[in-house]
Amino acid sequence: MIMANSLLENRTDMTDALSEIVYRCQLCGACQVSCQAYRDDIDLSDVLLEMRSHCVEGGYVQAEHLDIIESMKREDNTMNMLKSDRGNWAEGLDIPDINKQKVDVLFHAGCRYSYDEDLRDTLRFSISLLLQNGIKVGIAGRDESCCGGRAYEIGYQGEMKNYSEDMASRVKASGAKILVTPCSDCYYTFKYLYPKNGRKLGVEVLHITEYIDSLIKEGAIRPGKKVPMRVTYHDPCHLGRRGEIYKEWHGDDKLMRPVKYKQSGKYGIFDPPRDILKSIPGVDLVEMERIREYSWCCGSGGGVYEYDPDFARWTANDRLAEAMATGAEALVTACPWCERLFKDAAAESNSDIQIYDVCDLLAQSLGVL
Amino acid sequence: MLECKIISDQAYREMEEVLGKENISREPALLDSYAWQPAINLNTEAWIPRPAAVVLPKTSEEVQHIVRTCNKHGIKFKAHSTGWAAWGGPGEEGVVQIDLRRMNRIIEIDEKNMFAVIEPYVCCSQLQAEAMKHGLNCHIIGAGPNTSQLASVTSAWGYGWTGLYTGFGGRNPLGVEWVLPDGELLHIGTPGSGAGWFCGDGPGPSLRGIMRGWGGTTGGLGVFTKCAVKLYSWPDGPREPRFTGVLSDIIPEFELPKTHKVFFIFSPSYDAFTNVAYAIGDSEIGYIHCKGSVGALFGLLAPRAMRILLDTQGLRSIMKTFQFMTLFAIAAQSEGEAQYQEKVIKDIVGENDSIMIDTSHLPFHANFWWGLHRSIYPAMAFRPGGAFITSMGSSEMYACCVKQAKIGERIKEKYIANGTFIDDMADCTWGGIYEGTSNWGHLEEIAMFDRRQPQTEKNRIEFLFATTHATIKETLGFGLSSMEHKMYKWLGPMMNDYHLWQSKVKQAFDPNNASDGSHYIPPFDELQKDMEDYVPPVMEDVFEGFSEK
Repeated sequence: MIMANSLLENRTDMTDALSEIVYRCQLCGACQVSCQAYRDDIDLSDVLLEMRSHCVEGGYVQAEHLDIIESMKREDNTMNMLKSDRGNWAEGLDIPDINKQKVDVLFHAGCRYSYDEDLRDTLRFSISLLLQNGIKVGIAGRDESCCGGRAYEIGYQGEMKNYSEDMASRVKASGAKILVTPCSDCYYTFKYLYPKNGRKLGVEVLHITEYIDSLIKEGAIRPGKKVPMRVTYHDPCHLGRRGEIYKEWHGDDKLMRPVKYKQSGKYGIFDPPRDILKSIPGVDLVEMERIREYSWCCGSGGGVYEYDPDFARWTANDRLAEAMATGAEALVTACPWCERLFKDAAAESNSDIQIYDVCDLLAQSLGVL
Repeated sequence: MLECKIISDQAYREMEEVLGKENISREPALLDSYAWQPAINLNTEAWIPRPAAVVLPKTSEEVQHIVRTCNKHGIKFKAHSTGWAAWGGPGEEGVVQIDLRRMNRIIEIDEKNMFAVIEPYVCCSQLQAEAMKHGLNCHIIGAGPNTSQLASVTSAWGYGWTGLYTGFGGRNPLGVEWVLPDGELLHIGTPGSGAGWFCGDGPGPSLRGIMRGWGGTTGGLGVFTKCAVKLYSWPDGPREPRFTGVLSDIIPEFELPKTHKVFFIFSPSYDAFTNVAYAIGDSEIGYIHCKGSVGALFGLLAPRAMRILLDTQGLRSIMKTFQFMTLFAIAAQSEGEAQYQEKVIKDIVGENDSIMIDTSHLPFHANFWWGLHRSIYPAMAFRPGGAFITSMGSSEMYACCVKQAKIGERIKEKYIANGTFIDDMADCTWGGIYEGTSNWGHLEEIAMFDRRQPQTEKNRIEFLFATTHATIKETLGFGLSSMEHKMYKWLGPMMNDYHLWQSKVKQAFDPNNASDGSHYIPPFDELQKDMEDYVPPVMEDVFEGFSEK
């Protein structure tokens, strides 16, 4: 924040060393939660995003991030995978294709879930659950593309525009009233980055855990089978403290901005994933020390997963140690990026702790997995 | 780009060899991240001088190496821990910033003897959380729970909400490990004779007066690398209090003990308010005593609402009626003791024509209770305008403190009227009685302002002069206004020329003048030179008409 101020006041120039500092930030939003407790007029996360943009405009770009951007331009995903393979995850599930029929709910899988085969069962279970409950849900399959949020976060703000336009037309064409995603990063992009940049999707945006939690509370889904397991829940940053909807405020003096327009972090999605876990017989949910808006980042946010994998893994291992200190057998989360990094970090450190998505445990309870 | 001094390659290399390249930098933007210090500045600049390098030691030995390297190369150094306010950073160009954030361990909590041994970057909330697990508590200064416990007890002046029970900053250090300005490592108090950490005055060298005196050296006389701090009883309090939410919006996940209560006491006048404080001290009851402030209550918790409310003269008058407010809390070991303390305070209130509200049954009780014990509210003074300063506030017998509050209020009214400060009805006086007695305490005058308003820059310095002038003219004691050291010429005679002795201490302990003393004092010779041509300001008596003597 202060370094941004220094640049703004022309006290310093952007350098390689400074850009490295900027790119090592995981954009987790923890600083914003802490600092905004004492200040109403500054939005730290927005400043950090602008710093990234300033780096890119000045030519201070990172090779790992260029790979992401090139992959997005070429294949419409962040992961250097073929666009034509994007819908492979849904093979054999008989999911309505929004290119062919109107739906009530559009399911957006996101890049990581679409291509990470280790996580595929979670994704297939999630949408199957919706279908089994008679929900008219559809996907774009191979025509789904990246939400563009990752490009925005790593400083290529302009790149998101095309993806947001694409997303908006897909939503409109689908006829959906609800957009559901199992990816926390996409969720944040739809809820915060799009409206901040003037893109309104015109639908209700829900994370998969919100939707499933509501179905459980309505009695439509009834977890029955015991899953005897002591677990702890990791709040993904982009679903938790950064998962608040963008609150547009117009005014000249930010000191006079009412608190309700502040991205305080406390209105993120914290309870639905926990409530799902609590609804599963046999699951013993124990909390870590740093939870909800105070949660520790998994380490993968803000493009750090690609730019500085060692730092990302160090961050993940710190969280795994915290999880293990609770006596939990498993760390459960609700974001494919968190899950991927935790799985890798746990495997590398030969940790005994298991890593799951919330939906994985629900699937076990419903006898699916 | 702003050009500033950086340290020589040779000195840099010598430090890098010991610290590792990850723990030293002279990258301008990174250095600037240490230079933005808009609170408690010596002038109107929000930026303090940019450090010449920043170093992050992990051990006392590494701190010694840095200090010795600085002495060798004629470079000044300045250490900070959590780095709250301008006094943590350099006061001039060319100074190496020692950032102690890697020294962040609670080394020991001695439950039986009620003390903890800590490193510099242990913040108050961290220590409090661990102490409470043992049924103990620590003093947290008003700057807030995010500040360094070690810095507040070894190096600064500070008082927190629980000061009635837990003292104040300078009262709480025990054994201390100190890297002197020339790099020598000194243990003062019992650690100096290998007898543990339990006492600051021996057996072993007792240099508490030189180490910190009343106000602390604010990092101007070496580096403190470890210290023992006193812990206090946390009577019947929750061992691991858990909450959801942030700061003033927290919700506890536990039942508050029946032995803990918070009261608002409203008195009809400053005289009655003062008498209540004296009676509380005489009765030796309570865990928290502090002046409440309607201006602060609204200003800090609802700053926008306050601006609207105060536009209405009628509401303003009503709110002003409640300005003689005491915040009082009890924390008792048993329900019987709680009942006794409550009965005593009821009697005190009745005898002083005051009224009392027991907040125990009100919706905000738990939230407010924790806010006080955690000392979260004073730092919220950033909310209304983005910046604040403080003034008056010498530690004196409480009647003198109240006199300071009255004068401070009078002076501040003028600066609210001319648009310098945010309107808080001139009612943002904060402080209480110390250590279970009304023999002494403090009341400081906090003023909040918006740095973007052009008139604030010049006028707030004038306000600090005016309040200092008032303390001299009315013999109110050494206040908290941040002043350049040449002004000791003005202030010193009121305090037996203490500044001359202090500067001689500085000269003796820091022969190379390596420890940046900008917020402390320069060596004797330098001070004499600086003061030579200094002419104290001629001040208008903005509190003219104040009749009380």
